[in-house]
Amino acid sequence: MSSLKELQDLIHEKYGIEPSKLDPHASMRETGGLDSLALAEFLFAIEDHFGITMPDEDASIDTLAELALLVDKVRTAKPA
Amino acid sequence: MNRHEVAVTGLGVMAPHGDEHAALFQALLQGRSAIQPVFSELPKPAAAATLAFDETRWFTKLQLAGVDRVSQLAVAAADLALRDAGLAVVSDADPERVGIYAGCGMGGAAALEAAYRGNGRVSPLTIPAFMPNAPAAHVAMRQGVLGPVLTYSVACASSSVAIAEAAKAIQRGEVDVAIAGGSEALIVPGVVLAWQAMQTLATFQPGEAAGAVRPFASDRSGFALGEGAAFLVLESAERAARRGARSYATLAGWGLSSDATHLTKPDAPGQARALRQALRQAGLQPRDVGYCNAHGTATRIGDVVERNALAQVWGDDLGELRVSSTKALHGHMLGAAGAIEALITVLALHHRQLPPNAHCNEIDPACDLNLVTQDDTAAPALEAAMSNSFAFGGTNSVLLFRRA
Repeated sequence: MSSLKELQDLIHEKYGIEPSKLDPHASMRETGGLDSLALAEFLFAIEDHFGITMPDEDASIDTLAELALLVDKVRTAKPA
Repeated sequence: MNRHEVAVTGLGVMAPHGDEHAALFQALLQGRSAIQPVFSELPKPAAAATLAFDETRWFTKLQLAGVDRVSQLAVAAADLALRDAGLAVVSDADPERVGIYAGCGMGGAAALEAAYRGNGRVSPLTIPAFMPNAPAAHVAMRQGVLGPVLTYSVACASSSVAIAEAAKAIQRGEVDVAIAGGSEALIVPGVVLAWQAMQTLATFQPGEAAGAVRPFASDRSGFALGEGAAFLVLESAERAARRGARSYATLAGWGLSSDATHLTKPDAPGQARALRQALRQAGLQPRDVGYCNAHGTATRIGDVVERNALAQVWGDDLGELRVSSTKALHGHMLGAAGAIEALITVLALHHRQLPPNAHCNEIDPACDLNLVTQDDTAAPALEAAMSNSFAFGGTNSVLLFRRA
């Protein structure tokens, strides 16, 4: 399972950023223009979208690929 | 100390009547009300003046993260004011010598309402969206303003006080350019319910919301809430002349006073103190002032007290002062009220035309004033005009403008 595509779609829907404009391996803060406030709101949206609770260590996440891995992990661990 | 004359060189508005100040002024001259029913789901009928706002004109979706409507409207109105003044007004200025003086009564009401209604899911950006100084901060970030960025929260007088404080800073030469005004956006069910509980909102029959607010009329029953933002660009008259800017008016005097009597009940002597102070500062006599944009909330007590305050100061000349409350048409914009009404007063002076006091078919004898009527809006000899803002909390603010 990879959540990357869904995250890209969510970023597009929410912030109007095309998937091609945001390299999954680049810093979302530096190249995506998502500052700390926008990222906090995006994590909140991810929780709503997937029905999950993100762990607190997500503050260290810097790229979309890392974020997708974390979301995968949480979704896998989530009880059915 | 050399005191600068304060020129008004830019006007920007996001009003229930639209985002062009010329169109707003025309609508007011024609007596067009923007008040209409809202929130039909509430137990008691409610009416308000809301505006259609296309936020994509000023924000990308990403920029909207955590930006409440109250800040969005401020960013838009301030931007329009700067464009009106000519963008060089700021781009040619030292950014450390540009200031923002913004009024806001409540802050991001929609953010708070969403937090309460989220069934436990609360946006992590609720606090930065809600804080009352967010509008000023967003304007500063948008325009690159590095000088004083200040918020005045003085209920219904917030943005009038903000403009007075901005004028002081220009007068003393503390800043070269001031972006002064305010914003309010609290037309959400929870806040409307709270105002209904305060018993100050106008009652109305079905289909008659537009004419619900009747300042100084015998049958008045209170005000309707409005949302919006308005900003004025202030700079010294010398600077305005140097850059060839159009000056709409001179902000010649202002008066700030406190009732210190009651939290919500207005007080004529307190209001009269602010009126006298504004006249004194402008070096004008009461008879020199041809128009007063009244606070005129159309509450039973407020209109009488304001009339009495004007009578105390104007005395035998009261009949010469033409008065109207435009809240009948754009609603009570609370923290933005002082700014939009100052803007309307400036336009009245500029065009020498007065917006009528709408919906007053029969004047209350206790509010005996020379009200502007729909069929008599011309004021060819108008030289000075003022805007009154009297707040819950007892703070009174009067802005007095002269023709440039």
